[in-house]
Amino acid sequence: MSNNNAGPVVGKRTIGGYLLSVLAWFVGFLFFFPVFWMALSGFKTEADANGPPKLFFEPTTEQFSEVTGDTTGLLSAGEAFSNSFWAVVISTFFVMVLAVPAAYALSIKPVSKWKDVLFFFISTKFLPIVAAILPLWIIARELDLLNTRLVLIILYTAMNLPLAIWMLRSFFSEVPKELIEAAQIDGAKLWGQISSVILPIVAPGLAATALLCVIFAWNEFFLAVQLNPIEGSTVPIWVTGNVSTRGNFLAKLSAASTLATLPVIIAGWMAQKRMIRGLAMGAIK
Amino acid sequence: MAEVRFDAASRIYPGTEVPAVNELNLDIADGELLVLVGPSGSGKSTALRMLAGLEFIDKGSVFINDKDVTLAPPQDRDIAMVFQNYALYPQMSVAANMGFALKQQGIPKDERRKRVEEAARILDLEPYLDRKPKNLSGGQRQRVAMGRAIVRSPQVFLMDEPLSNLDAKLRVQTRTELADLQARLGVTTVYVTHDQVEAMTMGHRVAVLDHGVLQQVARPRDLYSKPENRFVAGFIGSPAMNLVDVDATNGIAIAGGTVPFDDSVNVANQSGTVSVGVRPEHLSLVTDGTPDSIAGEVTVVEELGSEAFVHVRTKHQGDDLTLVVRDEGETSTQRGDQVSVAFTGPTHLFGADGERVGD
Amino acid sequence: MAAVTSNSTREEQVKALQKKEARRRRLPLLPALLFTIVVTQVPFLMSLYYSFTKWTVTPPSPREWIGIENYTDAFTNMFFRQAAMTSVIMTLTSVVLSVILGTGVALLLDRKFFGQGFVRTLIITPFLVMPVVAGLVWKNQMFSAAFGVLNWVLNQVGVESIEFASKFPRWSIVGVLVWQWTPFMMLIILAGLQGQSSSVIEAAKVDGASPRATFFQITLPHLRPYIELGVLLGSIYLIQVFDHIVVMTGGGPGSTNVPLFVNQRSIGGGWRFGSASAFSIVVVVATIILATFGLRVLSGLLEGEEAA
Repeated sequence: MSNNNAGPVVGKRTIGGYLLSVLAWFVGFLFFFPVFWMALSGFKTEADANGPPKLFFEPTTEQFSEVTGDTTGLLSAGEAFSNSFWAVVISTFFVMVLAVPAAYALSIKPVSKWKDVLFFFISTKFLPIVAAILPLWIIARELDLLNTRLVLIILYTAMNLPLAIWMLRSFFSEVPKELIEAAQIDGAKLWGQISSVILPIVAPGLAATALLCVIFAWNEFFLAVQLNPIEGSTVPIWVTGNVSTRGNFLAKLSAASTLATLPVIIAGWMAQKRMIRGLAMGAIK
Repeated sequence: MAEVRFDAASRIYPGTEVPAVNELNLDIADGELLVLVGPSGSGKSTALRMLAGLEFIDKGSVFINDKDVTLAPPQDRDIAMVFQNYALYPQMSVAANMGFALKQQGIPKDERRKRVEEAARILDLEPYLDRKPKNLSGGQRQRVAMGRAIVRSPQVFLMDEPLSNLDAKLRVQTRTELADLQARLGVTTVYVTHDQVEAMTMGHRVAVLDHGVLQQVARPRDLYSKPENRFVAGFIGSPAMNLVDVDATNGIAIAGGTVPFDDSVNVANQSGTVSVGVRPEHLSLVTDGTPDSIAGEVTVVEELGSEAFVHVRTKHQGDDLTLVVRDEGETSTQRGDQVSVAFTGPTHLFGADGERVGD
Repeated sequence: MAAVTSNSTREEQVKALQKKEARRRRLPLLPALLFTIVVTQVPFLMSLYYSFTKWTVTPPSPREWIGIENYTDAFTNMFFRQAAMTSVIMTLTSVVLSVILGTGVALLLDRKFFGQGFVRTLIITPFLVMPVVAGLVWKNQMFSAAFGVLNWVLNQVGVESIEFASKFPRWSIVGVLVWQWTPFMMLIILAGLQGQSSSVIEAAKVDGASPRATFFQITLPHLRPYIELGVLLGSIYLIQVFDHIVVMTGGGPGSTNVPLFVNQRSIGGGWRFGSASAFSIVVVVATIILATFGLRVLSGLLEGEEAA
């Protein structure tokens, strides 16, 4: 985990090495460019945005205030962000509450058929969500859950649970068995083992897992647009609401897109090191 | 203080036929330091974990102080365990590590602090109480693991290769300290190791296991001088005892040299293939022509300063045979020398079944 | 705890204890398991039932049992076959391309150079972008014939503007998917590269292996489980792609995949619930076949742990 083992090749000062570094920077900018351009266009006027690409212009925050302002009859930014926030936060919380004990039962004190159970969880991710949307819609309608935050909370929990269990299980298996046994001999019960021994050790993995759940839930569009088109709509729906068939909308859309992606991008940037570990080192071990 | 008793205790892992520990019978006295020793896969750790409550006991029972704990969970057995890799809780300070078990028992903070400090004093850990395990040296970590066990004043200490992660020099030093500490505290201790030197130097008694079966339990010197079977004879002692398979039909001789036995052994009664055991210090290099000596060629000389071990190659029943002979330090013997080897001390005989013959 | 227990009851006690232990181990699993079964399996059972019925909302009609008619229709439906083909092609190409690119980028980033962390930060960003936003930005600001940056670049080198999203709908979408998923693959493979012990590489160097041989004979085999994991997770998500298509082409020629197709016939507008359900069930069965393959890969990933 220290920097010493980061890479076998320690920056050779050869022309080839130099070129590779330049190439890496170039690839980096290439991948980032669309995001940069989107954010940039958010500060343009519609006239500047709807024309040949312009790098230099007179920046304005006009579009940001326009897209965050309320228009009667339309989904407001405030509403969308608050719906998204609660759906994401509460569903991620539920995912963790369900996944932590489940991961314990699949790794530390495994149930006898833990592999089959893990397969079952993962297999639910293979089932296409479109194939379930109709019954879900019918059930939600029967239970009066259409256009509510609750329906998204439930479905986002189900959507992220398998991935969370899969990742957490791997993190849990990295906890040395002797530590759990020591805690057992010291008299710690299940919750004591989890809270004072396991969780502090897997905290980085827990954070990475939660973050991934947040990203997938925040970005989710299909379920939200099918089940909550009128109320309880989330940020992705609000973004698409800025696409207009009449008149220019690119600057406004860019401003809205920037606002919509910003929270997750910043969170992802901050947690990227943990994500690398979380996605792969944990997942494979 | 407590006595420990294994009563025909077996552990059969699910999906396996052969028991990892097979009907173990063992009585451990109050205050005794008993060492379980054996090669890997011998079941020594499993036996310890059965006593700890970390493994199911499929058959038989385990008693601590005449109380049947066979079915009791670990926390109800009043035991403390020191693990090979110490199993220190990485996110807790040394003090918190040592106090964790007391906290689980609901002991008040002041009392906890007092007991942790006392244990820290015994182990010279006082300056490190606020440190995290990752900021300690290997030896200090080992002491914290000990401290965590001491703090609880348990009935029994269980130690699973507690020194094997230390470097050689520190291991020897800690070995002595640990034996001394155990004697001072007088707590019954079961100690697992694969290192027979550790077993011999620390154990009041040593139990040798192989393939889940108890081979012999005895005081170290008895184990050394009177191994009950071929396995124990070969396992205990370094360098190992010379063990030679001999066809006993016409008396017992190695490479032409007749092996002397004490009176309890009736050589005439032996038949088939038996094993003769003789320790390197009970062989000597002698001048040529000594009666019943074995002629051979020196292949290796291991010079240790105070003594030397000379490997002598000879022919026995048509095959090459190498005998290890102890010689005095700064020996003049060299590779390639033609030498004669004579029996100068006790010898051991193991029958075709591997069991000791005679006293 | 009396020591005077007869042997047979002792054995029973052990059995009872083992049962209790098994129950105690199952307990923490149950909430997640029950929740998942209820939320994911019930809808599928309902879909299965609907698929044997004729049930349309416009015009409203009562549900009636028609047996396998919906299925025979499904298998003869040319548009469905096209959608299935589109799904397979889009998933396959985007997974393969992002794994290859991801490996390349990971190798670039697995060297010490000035700004290493910053460049990695730049590269992971696309993965974090909301799919609808990714689709919209690329369509309107990169691919657009009038204002797109990509076309501006092409113009500079003398190529005429192309309206990518309508001219090459399928490949435009694949392009955006690769843009988003290459960072994901890169993250996994980078972790694999960093998990490789440097002594192995050094040993290869000492043995006189060329950098090329070292990569193909040592690094790549080491990366294999990581690549498999990337393919597995990537496929799971990419086969379900919906958002990008809706905002970029709305299912324009060659870009209607199965999710979009089924949706169009169900609550996305067609309101023919019975036949839409039959399509879904066919998709489910097909994915289960695919999943069996995927799970075998997964199984390989778990194999190594068994011994530990």
